[in-house]
Amino acid sequence: MTGKKGAAIGKDQMLALYRTMLVIRRTEEQLVKLYAAGKIYGGVHTYIGEEAVATGVCAHLRNSDTVFSTHRGHGHALSKGMPPRELIAELLGRATGCGGGRGGSMHLFKPEIGFMGSSGIVGPSITLAAGSAYAARLRKTDQVSVAFFGDGATNNGAFHEGINMATAWDLPVLFVCENNMYATEIPYATVTKNPHPATRAPAYGLPGVAVDGNDVLAVYQAAGEAIRRARSGEGPTLLECKTYRTRAHSEGMRDAGYRTQEEIAEWKARDPIKAFEGKLLAGGTAAQSELESIDADVRALAEEAAAFALASPMPDPATVTEHVYSETQEGQNA
Amino acid sequence: MREMTFVDAAREGLAEEMARDPAIFVVGEGIGVRGGNFNTTVGLYDRYGPERLRDTPISERGFTGICIGAAASGARPVVDFMFIDFLTDAFGDMFNQMSKLQWMSGGRLKMPIVVRGCVGVAPSNAAHHSGNYYPFFMHVPGFRVVMPTTPGDAKGLLKTSIRSDDPVLFLEHKNLLALKGPVPEGEHLVPFGKASVARGGKDVTVVGVAFMVKKALEAAELLAKDGVSVEVIDPRTLAPLDIDTILSSVRKTGRLLVVDEDFAPCGVAAEIAMQVMELGFDDLDAPVKRLNGLSCPAPYSPALMTNLIPTTTTIVQALRDLLAE
Amino acid sequence: MAFEVVMPRLGWNMEEGAVVGWRKKDGDPVTAGEILFEVESDKAVQEVEALESGLLRIPPESPPLGTQVPVGTLLAWLVKPGEEMPSRAAAAPAVAPAAAGMIPAGSRAAEAPRPPEGKRIRISPRARRAASELGVDWALLSSSGSSGRILERDVRQAVAAGTAAPAASARAVRAHEAVPAAGTPSQDVLPISSVRRLTAERMSAGAHTTAPVTLTTEADATDLVRLRGQLKGESAQPAPSYNDLFAKLSAHALLDHPELNARFEGDSIVRSATVNIAIAVDTERGLLAPVVRDVQAKSLRQVAREAADLIERARAGRIHPEELRGGTFTITNLGMYEIDAFTPIINLPECAILGVGRIVAKQVVTDAGAGQVAIRHMVVLSLTFDHRLVDGAPAARLLQKIKRNVEKPYIWLAGA
Repeated sequence: MTGKKGAAIGKDQMLALYRTMLVIRRTEEQLVKLYAAGKIYGGVHTYIGEEAVATGVCAHLRNSDTVFSTHRGHGHALSKGMPPRELIAELLGRATGCGGGRGGSMHLFKPEIGFMGSSGIVGPSITLAAGSAYAARLRKTDQVSVAFFGDGATNNGAFHEGINMATAWDLPVLFVCENNMYATEIPYATVTKNPHPATRAPAYGLPGVAVDGNDVLAVYQAAGEAIRRARSGEGPTLLECKTYRTRAHSEGMRDAGYRTQEEIAEWKARDPIKAFEGKLLAGGTAAQSELESIDADVRALAEEAAAFALASPMPDPATVTEHVYSETQEGQNA
Repeated sequence: MREMTFVDAAREGLAEEMARDPAIFVVGEGIGVRGGNFNTTVGLYDRYGPERLRDTPISERGFTGICIGAAASGARPVVDFMFIDFLTDAFGDMFNQMSKLQWMSGGRLKMPIVVRGCVGVAPSNAAHHSGNYYPFFMHVPGFRVVMPTTPGDAKGLLKTSIRSDDPVLFLEHKNLLALKGPVPEGEHLVPFGKASVARGGKDVTVVGVAFMVKKALEAAELLAKDGVSVEVIDPRTLAPLDIDTILSSVRKTGRLLVVDEDFAPCGVAAEIAMQVMELGFDDLDAPVKRLNGLSCPAPYSPALMTNLIPTTTTIVQALRDLLAE
Repeated sequence: MAFEVVMPRLGWNMEEGAVVGWRKKDGDPVTAGEILFEVESDKAVQEVEALESGLLRIPPESPPLGTQVPVGTLLAWLVKPGEEMPSRAAAAPAVAPAAAGMIPAGSRAAEAPRPPEGKRIRISPRARRAASELGVDWALLSSSGSSGRILERDVRQAVAAGTAAPAASARAVRAHEAVPAAGTPSQDVLPISSVRRLTAERMSAGAHTTAPVTLTTEADATDLVRLRGQLKGESAQPAPSYNDLFAKLSAHALLDHPELNARFEGDSIVRSATVNIAIAVDTERGLLAPVVRDVQAKSLRQVAREAADLIERARAGRIHPEELRGGTFTITNLGMYEIDAFTPIINLPECAILGVGRIVAKQVVTDAGAGQVAIRHMVVLSLTFDHRLVDGAPAARLLQKIKRNVEKPYIWLAGA
């Protein structure tokens, strides 16, 4: 790992990290309940268990930095700054959702805060982020772009082509691979002879870093260094975060056959939020009551968000063909 | 008025736009130092350098994805595929990202991207270098499809395409690249959705696509000798399609032939015929007729190419048959 | 607050499921994360965990084990100790409706033109429009196109050459010739009305496209006259007119001679199962021939009522085009003008037309051998038929039958 190690992180930043992870966890829990009650359509891929990755990376980003995400994108959206009520309302298909109900769980958008979209197709987050980085440099800004993707995407052509070009052209981009060991239900090690994404990096000529994705401080440190590199024109980094999703691939799907209850229990014991809580308390950074107060606050926020979403109106069907084009043209018979 | 070739006129348009807006950059294989396989960017690298004339590896899906991300982030890329056949590797990201990002984001993200490439059957180019495929892009919502047939239109439409905030397929037929024609001085923009009546007539209407406009004009000239007056329409943009000009013509003549070298099923002729049926049924004195290329990949041997696409002769015969019907 | 435990959606397309087992009993404490019950859907059984902690309360209305219920159905409550289970589902949510079906495109179905009865004649839309504008019956045109479809140029050329027949809805027939009476000085220049124009076209077609032959005979109408006299005194209703009587007796004659109860339809001759009598009526606008349908099946009085209504409306200009079409035989009566015999023109596309002259008292021979004479009411009947369709003998037999029906009304009054 290059760059400064163990740079001191202040209490405020630590509590901010803690809070962000809780925002993700409590919001996802609301979504799980709403899904079980039949109020959400289609697929919901929760981020529960992986909170440390999005939190540790996005803590370094400004609104003008861009994030491109994937089907398991709620955590990225929330840690980039999307209010929980907009996320929940979007999954309930309401007009108040971040996309006005157009996208749902897998197609979240909030360009105003640099959240440039999650994609239901695996792979494009890599090339799109590289392209956003290209534009940033062309326009002579010091913005950076981040692509989030899973272990599954590392075998997609977009990974190869996107990382190759981004490195060849020294683009200001960070590639974050959330290696949770399963692509849907396919164990990573069964579809590739080298199930260690970070080790692929030298082949393309960029640094590859692997960290414990459930240790928010480790993610925070590694991401900080990579983003510094990108912003100063030194080019991209491939950051592999080893983590685990403790719920099924998608809500409602059976979680049996491809992994054992023991494995799940093992990773639940390594829960990133619990682990960080332990660190904060042991290090004397915060008192139990402070942490509980933050959690109570976040729970209330999440409940309010769910209530807001449930009370929100549906979008007007007459608007569905708007924005296919940026301007209507004469002669278009649509 | 000065005369230029199609490719020179288009390049002049590109150069003018790049001078006007620093956010415009070109991406593709060999479009940098080399100036492009079809001379699309000759001279521009020396003026603007590698950041704006970016040579790429053979990664069509990858550099298309990169350009989509760049377009969503405030830049204005021109993706130069050389041959439309190569862009097929990028279909996935074109359909799922390029055409949908504006809509998915509720108009907050724009997609000011031009995708250009050469189309069309040319002698012995064979199966992987003779593609047309434009109906795919007429079909999927979100794309504009632009196909100029004259040098003046090539320049004017490329400039409009670059200025559009929508994804535009700018498709140039190989057999038209060396065509010479008048190109106006000064700022010259041609709008989308406005067909041109390439030749006026009153007995029958022909709509041609790309190179077939030229063939239709030749057929019209031959038929004029027999006293038959053929009106030839060049749609210039397929999406948006100027159906009103076609309908006015059919109102006058009562008979319509659409000539397109691309395959018949779900093609441009099928779409035009359906729209004319919906909007101008009572003006028809005969069913709409279409002349397409054969439904097979382009062969290599000249002998196998004999009947592959419409020719002046087959267009003349089709018109005679249509008039006799 | 009590937490609702509902039938969960386990899978993108799951709409309903059944609880097949509870892992806890009513009243048991439950911790969030514990397996609470099992659900069967699509033949697979899945365990469902509790999302909250509390005491399990299963209400009496909870679905019995194995019962399929929609996703979202209330199954149980998790309450705090001491909390009462709500008596009914609080804000029971119906399952959010599945995505609305596609909104159908709001396109108007184009009205499909009805093909003419009989053989299919094809015509281009443009030609059909031209024919409609020019009032041309395009069914009688022929095509110059290789497709066999009638084209715009066929319509326009036919009109220019004067060979186009007018469209059916405005057909009219005049019993006498269309040539103006001799000796009528005409200083005025009158514009030609549409009825006049169409009558001219129809007459011309009737005279020149058919092969008309007129047969005449004289019938003894004495009993017919007596019948009418009796009916006149009979009730408050107006008595059937002579046209009504001739309509009925001709209809009955035609039942025995169906070959003359026929029309041209394109290339075919269509014999009608019913006898629809067109009655020529002189109106201010010109000659119209409204049709009484099914005359053979209706009573004399019914025919009389309908004919009276049609004639009144024809004279008042309130007749419907449909009522001027569909006739299989026409009757035209010039008796009130003291005409005996004449040569009526066939009302195309019918096959024959009966002209009725005046009923006049004459001295006739009743028994030539005995030298007996008597005063009888006699009427001349003129039957024009289309020799293209029917030969002389069958036509003559029809006229003979009509004569018989005039002379012996009881034959047809009794019914078939």
